[in-house]
Amino acid sequence: MHPRSILAIARKDALDILLNKTTLSLLLTPIVLALLFLLIANLLGGHTTNALIYDPGRSSVEQVLKSAYPDLKITYANSSGDVAAAFGPDGSHKTTAYALGLAVPAGFDASLSSGGHPRLNFYVDGSQVSNQQSQLLLSALTNTSRGIANPQPPATITVATVNPPSQNALLNINQFYAAAVLMSSLLVGTTLVPGILAEEKEKRTLRMLMVSPASYSDVVAGKLLVGLVYQLLLAALVLVINGGFTGQVPLVLLFALLGSFFSVTLGLLLGSFFQTTSSAGAAAGMLSMIYIIPIFFVGTFAQLFGNNPFTTIVKVLPPYYIADGVINALTNQSTTTGTALDVGVVLGCIVLLLLVATWLLRRQAAVVSTI
Amino acid sequence: MNELEIMIETHDLRRTFGTKEAVAGISFTARHGEIFGLLGPNGAGKTTTIRMLTGQIDPTSGHAIVAGCDVVKDHTRLKERIGVVFEEQNLYERLSARNNLRFSCWLYGLPESRVDEVLQLVHLRDRAKDPVRAYSNGMKQRLMIARALLHRPPMLFLDEPSKGLDPISAREVRQAIQHLCQEGTTILLTTHLMEEADQLCRRVAFIVNGHIVANDTPRNLKLSHGQKAMTVILDQPEQGQNGNAPLSEVTLSLDNPADAERLARLMAQGHVRAIHSREATLEEVFIEVAGISLV
Repeated sequence: MHPRSILAIARKDALDILLNKTTLSLLLTPIVLALLFLLIANLLGGHTTNALIYDPGRSSVEQVLKSAYPDLKITYANSSGDVAAAFGPDGSHKTTAYALGLAVPAGFDASLSSGGHPRLNFYVDGSQVSNQQSQLLLSALTNTSRGIANPQPPATITVATVNPPSQNALLNINQFYAAAVLMSSLLVGTTLVPGILAEEKEKRTLRMLMVSPASYSDVVAGKLLVGLVYQLLLAALVLVINGGFTGQVPLVLLFALLGSFFSVTLGLLLGSFFQTTSSAGAAAGMLSMIYIIPIFFVGTFAQLFGNNPFTTIVKVLPPYYIADGVINALTNQSTTTGTALDVGVVLGCIVLLLLVATWLLRRQAAVVSTI
Repeated sequence: MNELEIMIETHDLRRTFGTKEAVAGISFTARHGEIFGLLGPNGAGKTTTIRMLTGQIDPTSGHAIVAGCDVVKDHTRLKERIGVVFEEQNLYERLSARNNLRFSCWLYGLPESRVDEVLQLVHLRDRAKDPVRAYSNGMKQRLMIARALLHRPPMLFLDEPSKGLDPISAREVRQAIQHLCQEGTTILLTTHLMEEADQLCRRVAFIVNGHIVANDTPRNLKLSHGQKAMTVILDQPEQGQNGNAPLSEVTLSLDNPADAERLARLMAQGHVRAIHSREATLEEVFIEVAGISLV
């Protein structure tokens, strides 16, 4: 192998890939996807619930709203009339800046404790809070009031939860997006490498290369190099766009690196099978699902599916372990055993793919000059 | 290097593909600074021969030395000393001419300043920045020649260099080839265009079904197979002799003294407009020697 030839081929391909509309579209797709996910995350996850509260005594009932809405933004009113004025009578239509309103009279808790029957006014903007949520909040306020009035519950209820869900699972949605775009970006290497390898054969430029100082090994290595560089750059870029540098960042980077290597070696294997760009592209397209499906079987989403035969099938796919490693790293839930398993499986697959591809390509090298 | 130095030497070179023998034992030499033509119809074994001589495929048997390198054992050194212009166009069409040549410079470890030199040589410098897909066939062919010359190889292989070109482009390519030869490059040219071989080559070999059936200079081949006669064109019909009809064109034998006198008489009368040799064309020689046409 000649480093000069390898670098020359990589440089040439790096430029040619950008001039080729097909490969350029392929490179831009994960970036577009990442931006789309960013937009969705901002639209869905950036919502703040505004509440207007009059509670001069800082009653315990105020805590009901805070528990129901962790992102609650409270504005304290000067009087109950201000709260009433912000919402209007029951059934009326009014544009209001607040989703919830609460007017708690002074000494509310003390009145309840002494057997009194104070009046609490609860306001809801039906366009921001669903009926179900409203009923649940009303029920919670009622129960809290009962609890203040009579701290001794009528019955003792114990709760035992098995397989408890992750706390604040919905907060992991941004991390899910980061993992999803990273996994989808890995398709680039698998598609790019066989395409640029097949094109040299299709366009007969491979024959020209065979009478130059470059060997067939140099050609393959050069294309592998440019595929890997573009793949790594894309992986880093989509992680940056979707805030993927969170959690256990070194592990995130490790799995991004392993995923990139896996992607290009799988591409190399495809390139050793297929002789035309169309057949290589078709095969890569069919394989795209192996990067997408595992995303829905790791992290929080894994609990939705539980243990079923399909989950078992998905766990056979090497990208499952990449996705698993990434999502655990992003959500700070990596364990030594789990990480070792994920890394081991992916690394083993990379080595196996490389060995098989090398064997196939060596057989090709003997006849490449007749292509 | 001097003209006596042998740049190509093959001994009983053979190549078999399965049961088919594409090249069936050819032996020839090509000297430094000459254009050597390998002529034959499609499927004769020309391209297979070039592939063996350029190290793309190994011979089944026999051996060949090209530019001082064994084609089997010295692949690395061979590639540094040869340039190849293929029959099919194999440029990177999305890249500009300049970038195509820059890539070759990177491969050979050459300074990029060499790009402008070869572009100037093939008169493509003003179109250097254009993508190759915008080039005409003739321009692409010249660019491929430029690419083959980047590393100043002493030996150049041209496989059907005029194929698919219009007459003007073909002439430009031939002029470029002649210029290269004048500068000392040895060229092995394959073609099925006899006029091209006649015009360019110092020596030619006819290859048919993998065998070389003739190997000599075009002149010797034509002289040894042509007629020793001439055609004399008259500006007025010659008075018919022995009661025959008057002739405006007569054929005279070079061996017949009576015809020599007849020529002298016609010239003295001032009726001779042109005299054409009746030597054979290279194509006629090929058909006679090979027994087949060039199609």
